Amino acid sequence: MSYGSISKAAHENLAMAMNRIGGKSNSGEGGEDFNRFQKDENGDSRNSSIKQVASGRFGVSSHYLSNADEIQIKMAQGAKPGEGGQLPGPKVNPSIAKVRNSTPYVGLISPPPHHDIYSIEDLAQLIFDLKNANREAKINVKLVSEVGVGTIAAGVAKAKADVILISGYDGGTGASPLTSLRHAGLPWELGIAEAQQTLVLNNLRSRVVLECDGQLKTGRDVAIACLLGAEEFGFSTAPLVASGCIMMRACHLNICPVGIATQDPELRKNFKGKPEHIINFMYFVAQELREIMANLGFRSVEEMIGQSQKLQAKKGIEDYKVKGINLDKILYKPISNNISLRNTEKQNHNLKKVLDFKILKEAKLSINKKIKTSLEFKIKNTDRSVGAILSNEISKLYGEKGLPKETLNLTFNGSAGQSFGAFAVKGLKMTVFGNTNDYFGKSLSGGILSVRVPKSSTFESSLNIITGNVALYGAINGEAYINGIAGERFCVRNSGAKAVVEGIGDHGCEYMTGGIVLILGKIGRNFGAGMSGGISYIYRNQEFLKTKFNMEMIDLENINDQDEDIISGLLENHFSYTNSKIAKMVLSKWGKEKSNFIKVMPKEYKIALEKIAEEKINQLIK
Amino acid sequence: MGKIKGFKEYKRIDEKYISVRKRIKNYKEFTINPKKSELNSQAARCMDCGVPFCHSGCPLGNLIPDFNDLVYNNKWKEALDILHSTNNFPEFTGRLCPAPCEAACVLGIINPPVSIELIEKQIVERGFKENWIIPKVPKNKTGKRIAVVGSGPAGLAAAQQLNSVGHNVTVYERDSKIGGLLRYGIPDFKLEKSIIDRRVDILMEEGIEFKCNIEVGKNLEIKDLEKSFDAILLSTGSTIKRDLDIPGNNLTGVIQAMDFLTHSNKYVDGEIEKHYDKYSAKGKNVIVIGGGDTGSDCIGTSNRHGAKNITNFELAAKPSSERDLNNPWPYWPFTLKTTSSHEEGVERKWSVLTKKFIGDKSGNIICLETVNVEFDNEKKRFIEIPDSHKNWDCDLVILALGFTGPENNLPIKLDVKLDKRGNISSNSNYQTKKNNIFTAGDCRRGQSLIVWAISEGREASYHIDKYLMGSSNLPRKNSFGDL
Repeated sequence: MSYGSISKAAHENLAMAMNRIGGKSNSGEGGEDFNRFQKDENGDSRNSSIKQVASGRFGVSSHYLSNADEIQIKMAQGAKPGEGGQLPGPKVNPSIAKVRNSTPYVGLISPPPHHDIYSIEDLAQLIFDLKNANREAKINVKLVSEVGVGTIAAGVAKAKADVILISGYDGGTGASPLTSLRHAGLPWELGIAEAQQTLVLNNLRSRVVLECDGQLKTGRDVAIACLLGAEEFGFSTAPLVASGCIMMRACHLNICPVGIATQDPELRKNFKGKPEHIINFMYFVAQELREIMANLGFRSVEEMIGQSQKLQAKKGIEDYKVKGINLDKILYKPISNNISLRNTEKQNHNLKKVLDFKILKEAKLSINKKIKTSLEFKIKNTDRSVGAILSNEISKLYGEKGLPKETLNLTFNGSAGQSFGAFAVKGLKMTVFGNTNDYFGKSLSGGILSVRVPKSSTFESSLNIITGNVALYGAINGEAYINGIAGERFCVRNSGAKAVVEGIGDHGCEYMTGGIVLILGKIGRNFGAGMSGGISYIYRNQEFLKTKFNMEMIDLENINDQDEDIISGLLENHFSYTNSKIAKMVLSKWGKEKSNFIKVMPKEYKIALEKIAEEKINQLIK
Repeated sequence: MGKIKGFKEYKRIDEKYISVRKRIKNYKEFTINPKKSELNSQAARCMDCGVPFCHSGCPLGNLIPDFNDLVYNNKWKEALDILHSTNNFPEFTGRLCPAPCEAACVLGIINPPVSIELIEKQIVERGFKENWIIPKVPKNKTGKRIAVVGSGPAGLAAAQQLNSVGHNVTVYERDSKIGGLLRYGIPDFKLEKSIIDRRVDILMEEGIEFKCNIEVGKNLEIKDLEKSFDAILLSTGSTIKRDLDIPGNNLTGVIQAMDFLTHSNKYVDGEIEKHYDKYSAKGKNVIVIGGGDTGSDCIGTSNRHGAKNITNFELAAKPSSERDLNNPWPYWPFTLKTTSSHEEGVERKWSVLTKKFIGDKSGNIICLETVNVEFDNEKKRFIEIPDSHKNWDCDLVILALGFTGPENNLPIKLDVKLDKRGNISSNSNYQTKKNNIFTAGDCRRGQSLIVWAISEGREASYHIDKYLMGSSNLPRKNSFGDL
C-alpha cells in the first residue's frame, strides 16, 4: 500500500499508529515525503519504519534510505507476481510526482524484474548496497508463497538478508488486475512452513527473521503463523478496515468514498480514521493471542516460534473434498538438537573491509566542516558499493541538501567493483581512472560521477567499453560522465540525472521518467522502451537506424536552440571531467556538428510539460 | 452503476409532491413522476460497490446495483425482471417502504443515498404501463392443495410463489376485499386501492382462488380446512390493538386508529355509503396518540376529513436529526422523520404520557390530561416529571399505539403454539408445531413492514414447497442475517 495507492492521511495514520505501539509501517513503493522523517510537535512520528525498494526505485535516494529502520526489497507481491505496477499519468498529481521524484502527469511504470537482480548473486549485491546505504537498518526481502519458496529463502538467507518476508496470495493492492488478485500465489501457511523447514534443515534459520503476511486478521492467524515458524506478522487490509475501509473494491477507480484509496481531494476529506482505531484493533489481536498462548502453555511468543507440534489437523471432517487431505508435511517439525528454530544471531555482512571506511577516516573533517578536500585512492573490483556509506554519513548530517557542490573530490585508480557511486549524494565528486563494473551510479542521489580512461592509455575511448550494465539504475539526481561505451539498459528508470556517454548497448533509457541523456556514439536495439519522461540526445556520427528505437512511447525530433545550449553545456562538462576526445572534436566544430543531433522526446512527457507550462501561466494570471 | 463518477456529478432527487393545499382536498396519491433524464441521473449515482450494503439492508435482498445499472442504460424490461426476481410487489414497497436499503447505501456515508425506492417504483409502473407484467400460468400442476389464511402482503406473496410451481392455492380472507392492512389500514393517498386490484387481477388469472368474507374458525370449520388441504399457511397479521388502560377510555370519541382508518378507507372506496360521525374528524379538535406510521396516516386522513386542528403525542423524546454514535451507518437511523402527512398540518409533541380522558355529562370526550415523561436508562422505563400536568381540549382521540400480536383463537383451535410474545411459534422453516401448518408475516414476527411481509411469504413458500415435494426450486434470499 504505497502512498499513491492510498491517500496521504490513510498512509500517515498507519505510520503514526505503528510508531506509537512499537510496530513498523511500510512506505510502499512510492517513496516518502521528507517532512515525515521528523517528529511532529505532539511527539507523533509519521515516518515509515520500513522503506521499500521496488523495481521502479521510486524515491529511493540516500536520504530516504538513511531514515529507515528496515529496508525492504520487494522481489514479488502476492497479488501481482512477476508484474510491475502502473500509475497512469492523470493520477500522478504534483505531490505524488514529488515524492516519487518524477514529473507530474507522466505515467509511472514499475518494470517487472528489478533490473539489477538477475541472479541470487545480484540479490546479494543489492543487499550489500542497501546495507552500505544504511548499516543500522535491517535488510528485508519480500518473497511470495509458492512451491519452491523454501529454496529461494535459503538462497536469500545466504545472500545476507536480515529479514525474509513470505507473503500470501490474499493480500494485495486494489490496483492489481483481478486475475492476479485471485489466481496467483499460494496461502502463507504453505510458504511459511516450507521456508521454516528448509531454513532449519540447512542450519540457516538462526540468522534471519521470518516475517509473514497475507490477510492476517485475528490472534488465531498470528498464533498459527508463529507455530509454523514466523516471528513477525504483517497486517494491511485489517488495519485499513479499522480506519474506515468498507471494501468497495473501487481502489483503482479513484472513487473511494471513505478517502482511503483515492487521491481525489474532495473524497479525501471523508477520511475519518485515527491511530487509536488501529491501535485498538491491534490490542484485540494481541489479547486473543494471549488467550491462545495461555491455552497452549506458552509464556512468550519466542517460545512459540516453530513449535508446529502444537498444531493439528481437524479430525472427523466428512466432506468429500477435504477428507483425503493430509497436512503432515505442512506440520512437519525438523528434528533439531542445537539448531535454532528462530532468529538468534545477526548476519555477518562483512562490512569491515569496505573502502568507504578508509575514505571516511580521511574525509571526516571535510564532511563535518564542509571544507573542500581532494583525496586519491587505489580501487579494485572487490571494492563494491563505493560511496554508499559516505553518502549515508552525509545524509545523516545534512539530509536531502547534502554538501555544497564538489566539496569532497575523490579520485580512484583501478577497476571499480559493482555499484560504484551508488546513492552518491550532493557534494560528492567521484572519478575513476580505469573502468567500473555493473550498476555504476545506482540510485544516484545528486553526486557527480565520472569514469575515464587511464591517463596513459592509448586506445580510442569511444570505441571501447568502460562501464558495465544497468548504469544509473533508478538515478534520481546528479551527473555522470562516461568516457567510453556502457553496457545494456543504460539509465534504466532514470528519474532526473544527467548523463553523457560515448556509446551504449541494448535497451537504452528504458522506463526513464526524467533527466537528460547525451549519447555520443552507437546505440543498441529497443532504445526508449517504456520511456515516459526525460529527454535523450543522440549524435548521429554514423549510420542511423530508426529500427533501433522502440517507437511505442517516443517521438524523434530535430533539436531547437534550447536543446543546442543544453547539449553544448553537457559536452563542455564531459570534456572538463573526462578530457573526452570526441567531446572536444564536436565542440570545436560546433557550428556544423550541432545539426547532427537528434532528440528523443517521450510523447507523455511532451504533454505533461505543456500542461505544467499552462498551469504556470494560469497561476500567473491569477 | 453506469457512470463511474456519477455520484459526484449528480445530486439526489426526491419524489416531488403536489402542494399541501391542493392534495388534502382529495384522497388521491399526490406524487409527481420524475422526468426520464432525472431518473437516468439518479441511477447513475449508484457506485456499484464491491460490498453492496443495500443488499443486506433490504429484507428482500433486492439486487439493487443491478437494476440501477439497467435503468441507467435504459434497459427497463431487464430491470423489471431483476426486480421481480426478489420482490413480488414492487408497486407496494416502491410507495410505502421506509427504505432500509437507502439507510444502508454506501453513498449515504458521504452524500444523500441513491434514490432506490424512487427507481423501484418507476420500474414497476413502467412495467404495468408497457404491459410487460402479465399473468404467468404454470404449465404443470402438482395436485397439492394449499390454504393461505389472510390476504395481506405475506399471504399474497406466498400464494403467488406457491402457485407458480404448480400447487393449487386458495386464499381465505375474512374481510370483503383482498389486501389486509394494505387496503384497510393504509389510506388511499398513500396507496390507491386500484393498485392493489391491478395486482390481484393478475394473481387471479394465474390461477389463485380467493374466498372473501370467510373467517376460518367461524364460518369455515377447522376440520374442513385441515381435511381439504395438504398444507396451511397462517398469515393473519398482527391485529390486536394496544389499548390505553386509563380512566375515561370508554368515552365516546376515543377510538382506535385501525377502526378510524378502516372506516375512512371503506367510505372512500364506496363500500359503505355513510360517513359516521363517530369516525369522522370533520370540524373537530383531534388528538392522535402515537407517533408512528399509523399515527401519521391518521393525521393525513383527519386533515382530509376537514379537522379543525390536530395534535400528535409521542411517548419517547424528540429524536435528533443526526445519527447517534450508537446508531451508526449502515443501521436504520433513529432520527427525526417528517412525513408528507405531518407537512399537511399537525402539532407534534414528544415525551408526553396521557393520564386520563375527561368527558362531559353525556359521555363525550371534551379534554384529556397529560404529563411529561423521561426515559430512565437505569430503571429501563418512563418516569413522570413532577408538576408537568397539562390539559388538552379535544373532540376526537385516535389511539395509534401499535399492535401486540395475532388474534389467538385460530391458533388455539388449530393447536399450534404461541411464543412468549404472543406470536405464532415456528421453527427456522416457518413451520409450526404441526408439520403441515406454516406461518409467515406479522403473526409470526410481530408488527413489521410490508417488505418484511413479502420476504416472509417468499421464504415460507420455499419451505412449504419443500415439505410437499421433497425439494424446492423456489428462490430464497442468501442472507445470514439482516441489518
